[in-house]
Amino acid sequence: MADSAGPPTAKARISLAALFAAFFRLGLTSFGGGTAAWLYRAVVQRRGWLDNGTYLAAAGLSRLLPGSSGVNLTVLTGQRLRGGRGAIVAVVGLLSGPFVVVVGLAAGFARIAGSAVAHAVLDGIAGAAIGLTLATGLALVPRGRTQIPPLLVTITTVVAVGVLRWPMLPVVLVLAPISIGWALGQRPQRGS
Amino acid sequence: MPDWRTLWMLAAVFGPLSLFSIGGGASLLAEIEHQSVAVHHWTTHRDFADLFALSRAAPGPGTMLSTLIGWRVAGWTGALVATIALYLPSSLLIFAVSRLWRRWRGSRWHSAIEDGLAPIAAGLMLAGGLAVLQAAGGAAVWLAAAAATAILLRWRQLNPLILFGAFGALFGLAAAF
Repeated sequence: MADSAGPPTAKARISLAALFAAFFRLGLTSFGGGTAAWLYRAVVQRRGWLDNGTYLAAAGLSRLLPGSSGVNLTVLTGQRLRGGRGAIVAVVGLLSGPFVVVVGLAAGFARIAGSAVAHAVLDGIAGAAIGLTLATGLALVPRGRTQIPPLLVTITTVVAVGVLRWPMLPVVLVLAPISIGWALGQRPQRGS
Repeated sequence: MPDWRTLWMLAAVFGPLSLFSIGGGASLLAEIEHQSVAVHHWTTHRDFADLFALSRAAPGPGTMLSTLIGWRVAGWTGALVATIALYLPSSLLIFAVSRLWRRWRGSRWHSAIEDGLAPIAAGLMLAGGLAVLQAAGGAAVWLAAAAATAILLRWRQLNPLILFGAFGALFGLAAAF
């Protein structure tokens, strides 16, 4: 699926091995879900495989569609550079390092699971990680007088999924059309 | 001999979630907790809280939590199945949509979908935080660490990893003495 509309950024064809190596390294060095920012440094700034505009368009799409935005952006980058095979190689490269590390960590922890100190360390990490999730969620809460309907959508989501513990899929299936419909109504016909 | 039924259940739970993770893996937290603890009894509350912490301490994009739950239930095969189930459907979708997308760019729909999904993503993220707090039995120390981190992060652009390490060390020391 090579794309002729894409800018000819690649001076030479990037080998699948180089693609794998770049994303393998990216997977192991990106912490805390900031993959998109690390990918920019690695692929656009350092290697010049993509230009800014291509990156931004891909980053927008990867946030919009479901899935981890970092993995989505990796699919798009691999696809851009080497088609379907490139996408597969890039994603496998990205995930294989963390996969082994995280299972290794869990296996190591299972050996010392009886230790109260080990549990306490994990409690500290988990507490801080929840704080990060809550802080990110709070930063995204709609604000302002024109934002009352989106705010209601957020509150409904929190109550339904977080408090009442309703299953997420039907909640999203009901709320998404309402919310998107409202957003569509807010935009003038010759939009943005 | 792998337990095919369990592997199938892992795929059946994480596969559909793949297409519902809005704004990243954190939006799935509440549902993964619900499925793993209440529905399928793959982990206890305590186990889930530990796996959550481990998944956050490791490098990588977003949720390796599904990987760990798969591993806990069915070893390396389970880890592999859960990981593929969570990432494959969304990857295929973006692969298929990306060409269509370039024709679509700048359309009213494009921005409306982005704007419309944003408040749901925020709600799911907050719900996920609440769900994991519930898994921990609402322990006061967790609440304190979570609140302190949330406040610190809003106040300063800190690397979250530093805070993860700091609270891990703090709690560990407190337990040791």
